[in-house]
Amino acid sequence: MTNSSPSVVVDHISKSFGEFTAVNDLSLAVHAGRVFGLLGPNGAGKTTTIRMIVNITAPDSGRIKLFGQQITPALQDRIGYLPEERGLYKKMKVGDQLRFFAELKSVSGKEAERRVDRWLDRVKLTEWKSKKATELSKGMQQKIQFITAVIHEPDLIILDEPFSGLDPVNVDLLKEIILELKAAGKTIIFSTHQMEVAERICDDICLINRSRKVLEGSIREVKRGFSRNAVALRLVGGESVLDDRALISNVERHSDGIEVLLAEGANPQTLLKELLAAGATIERFEMIEPSLHDIFVEKVTEKE
Amino acid sequence: MNKLIAIIKREYLQKVRTKFFVIMTVLGPLMLVAFTIVPGLLISMKTGGDTRIAILDQTDGVKLYDSIRNSLLKLERDEGSSKGQALGDAANSNSKDRMEKAGRASGSFRVDQVNPNGRSLDEIKRELNARIGRDELDGYLVIPPDIVSNSNSKSSYYGRNVGDVFTRGQLRDRLNSTVRRQRLINEGVKDEDVDALSRSVDLATYPVNEKGEEGAEDSGAGFAMVFIIAFLIYMTVLLYGQVVLGAIIEEKETRIAEILFSSVRPFQIMFGKLIGVSLMALTQLGIWAAAFAALVLLAVPAMAARGFTDINLPHLPPFFAVYFFLFFLLGYFVYSTLYVLIGSMVTTSQEGGQMAMPVIFLLMAGLYLAFAVIRAPNSSFAFWVSMVPFFAPITMMVRIVSQTPPFWQIALSLGIGFLTVVILLWVASRIYRIGMLMYGKKASIPEVIRWARQA
Repeated sequence: MTNSSPSVVVDHISKSFGEFTAVNDLSLAVHAGRVFGLLGPNGAGKTTTIRMIVNITAPDSGRIKLFGQQITPALQDRIGYLPEERGLYKKMKVGDQLRFFAELKSVSGKEAERRVDRWLDRVKLTEWKSKKATELSKGMQQKIQFITAVIHEPDLIILDEPFSGLDPVNVDLLKEIILELKAAGKTIIFSTHQMEVAERICDDICLINRSRKVLEGSIREVKRGFSRNAVALRLVGGESVLDDRALISNVERHSDGIEVLLAEGANPQTLLKELLAAGATIERFEMIEPSLHDIFVEKVTEKE
Repeated sequence: MNKLIAIIKREYLQKVRTKFFVIMTVLGPLMLVAFTIVPGLLISMKTGGDTRIAILDQTDGVKLYDSIRNSLLKLERDEGSSKGQALGDAANSNSKDRMEKAGRASGSFRVDQVNPNGRSLDEIKRELNARIGRDELDGYLVIPPDIVSNSNSKSSYYGRNVGDVFTRGQLRDRLNSTVRRQRLINEGVKDEDVDALSRSVDLATYPVNEKGEEGAEDSGAGFAMVFIIAFLIYMTVLLYGQVVLGAIIEEKETRIAEILFSSVRPFQIMFGKLIGVSLMALTQLGIWAAAFAALVLLAVPAMAARGFTDINLPHLPPFFAVYFFLFFLLGYFVYSTLYVLIGSMVTTSQEGGQMAMPVIFLLMAGLYLAFAVIRAPNSSFAFWVSMVPFFAPITMMVRIVSQTPPFWQIALSLGIGFLTVVILLWVASRIYRIGMLMYGKKASIPEVIRWARQA
């Protein structure tokens, strides 16, 4: 997939508001059939970047291409966007509301009606069709908002914190739908600061911090680049080995064990041997992969 | 284009289905009547009991007391029998006239004579003042001895509530006519001739238009019509401006704007909203106009058949209706774009209400200026005021109804207004597209100016 021409190409874009630089020389490429995670702490420039991709604002410099074309208002119909700040008309019936949003994406008449019914059924809200939005719970509203982003069957779907405020059952439902859309060859950009979610859904990520890109690549590549030789241990005895600075650079004690970071060039096998030699009873010995969360925290804090 | 229609359709259908729309459609005409007629009636309404008046008549032989007393008390009886008629008149006559009539209808008096008993004026006044203080008396009238012989002589009224202009006016009228009558009799006019000689002259009024054609007698209904039209434009522009403000703030508060902006260009959304609300306004005005027409076509002949022939509805040429809609739309677009500006800057409806105050003052200024324009519709003051787009919807309409100005002035006023609307729309759309995506805090004026400049 990666070698096909990308759906979204962001080419050295920058955007400032007065003195404040929101996005600084950012480039990225998003491929069809993959879930692209746009990650970063609050205020990193995620929303500004997305707004430029969906043509709400224009970059000060740089170019954006969607499906190989320069972005135009007409292309907006091929994008589905679920913003982080989102809502519904309080006093409008759910069905009318969805039909209105479909019309804004050039889907109207019977076709719109058919899709509204299909999607309401998919998110299990069919019986709420003629209720007003205010009568819905927050989670239900969230699902309706999600439908507004996909009802016109867009090729590019941009979801900004789609899971915030959802219960686990609905998170799973939404995740399932997202994976279906991915399987159908849609391009999905997924923005969040919740790394656990990103880790499970995204194929590729781009981490931005303070308006700049700090990291990008597939999840696997990124993690490989960060393997830090960390080992989780639970021991009885043999603690003296942990003081060996040639072997271990850092020790972190948790309630149910110890996490150690091996020193540069040290081998986990050596540590295991040393521990056995010191007469330790080993209840747990596990190489740990860095979580996206750890990578995120490390990358974001190292610049400060 | 289809998207614009979708936005207009949604805005219109949602608004027209609200209870607010139904209630306003019913209450609007009632409110108009209430705001134009009721204040006049209220101010002349006398609550509380009779006005207790004492009269100290110092003229030789106490010639005036009986006559004044009788006319004050008689007035009361006369009005009692003609109250129904007075109300009927009120609908057709102008408001000044109506207030006077209502004022006359309202007073009832209890009148006592003060017997000097050889006391000095100061002593008597002290005693009467004390009675007023004890709330046994509302006021007293002192008539000097030389009131009939000396035309510079002054009578005085002392009372607790001298702000009650109606009571004061009635006393002055009665005193005047009594004294005048006495003076005439002293000069040798026969008692029975006095009334005929001092009857006031009726002044019939006929409009003449710019072509020199004479119209039918104007009973003051024209004046009432001018006032009603000025107020109608004021009320509807204010009302629908607020509707626009509410619609803008709703999309900001509920965070719908960003979803919309990712589908449609912000200008289309803003413009669609303005059109949608304007259609709602036109629907409402249309219903009112139809109801009024039905009243004229059905109710008036029906009443005429029962003998009510003197119902004098103002005759307005049909082109007034065209101008009314044009100037209503001008006012609507000028003010609602200002409301869009405000809606884009604020974050909650409360803030919106505060920020909207200057706009409301601007609109009110137009209404107040209209009063000056009614007096002299073709003065240069009226001309300039009706060229200012913020005042034109009311002031130019007042001029058209009262004394239609040359066509070029109307066209110029509309043209200036149209240009202003275009400029305001352009500015508003630039602020709208940025302001709608700003959450959290109200924008400052310098910020807004920067938004407008941003490409």
